[in-house]
Amino acid sequence: MLLLHGLPVLHWAVAGVAIGAITLILMYALNRRLGISTGFESVCALVSKRPYFRRSELQGKGRWRLPFLAGLVAGGVVSALLGGGFAASWDLGRFDVVIGASPLLKTAWMFAGGLLIGFGTRLAGGCTSGHGIFGMANFEKASWLSTASFMAAGIATTQIVYRVVF
Amino acid sequence: MISNAIIFVLAAAFGFVLSRSGAADYEFIQKMFLFEDLQLYGIMAVAVAVLAPGLYLLKRHGRALGGDRLEFKEKPFHRGNVIGGVLFGVGWSMTGMCPGPILVNIGEGKVYAVAALAGTLLGAYLLGAVYPRLVAPMNLPKLEVGTGDG
Repeated sequence: MLLLHGLPVLHWAVAGVAIGAITLILMYALNRRLGISTGFESVCALVSKRPYFRRSELQGKGRWRLPFLAGLVAGGVVSALLGGGFAASWDLGRFDVVIGASPLLKTAWMFAGGLLIGFGTRLAGGCTSGHGIFGMANFEKASWLSTASFMAAGIATTQIVYRVVF
Repeated sequence: MISNAIIFVLAAAFGFVLSRSGAADYEFIQKMFLFEDLQLYGIMAVAVAVLAPGLYLLKRHGRALGGDRLEFKEKPFHRGNVIGGVLFGVGWSMTGMCPGPILVNIGEGKVYAVAALAGTLLGAYLLGAVYPRLVAPMNLPKLEVGTGDG
């Protein structure tokens, strides 16, 4: 059951096939390698003139990532609308029960986690999509190593947060 | 322009699947990392299992739909793969969101995801700001290349 309106989840095999198929269409029809975290650099490139954000990777054909990020937001909106309506929510499952339900606490926690995601994915050269899905399927050494690293760190962090600290 | 519209629609489909599969759900992420529910491991395994042979065939074919040469680069191998991966893993556990689901959660109306996005953009900016100083210790590609599209 999802936090979103208590909806049931898609079967994992259905969701997996859909993700694999969309990634293949993106590669074959549009000649683009799936990758989401570089899109955060595309956003930075809109406002920063630093050399890192002037890379050719983010210019010209590289600008496709902005409509991709916008589409992900739209997918969430459609999912909410079809699943019971769009409504603002602070619901965070076991976090509310075990750690705290204060919006201020959640905002600080999410911001801190976000800093690690932004810095970490760009240092690693990818996230769950570019390394975990595409890079693993393409048998890239960097992706297997990076995926093992973020899965291990995620497991360790959640185990520490919910089985040790709280 | 047309390709941007197709990209937007594909991303919306991708986002919808992330939303409805549990991949963009704080509880499902924690259950994955606690091994209470294997849903998300199953999704990743199936996605990779579908994509791997598809990519293999596509690379042998060598061309995209319009006839252009298939172009994508393998990701560079360096110390950042592990160190960045570990930092990301901690952030993924904390927020219950990896990069795609941050945006999906905002679309769903989860207010806290906006804070996660703000942190993520600042984090990505900081990496760009210190990149020149990380090239040597992390053995990163030169700045013009970056860590690769991902």
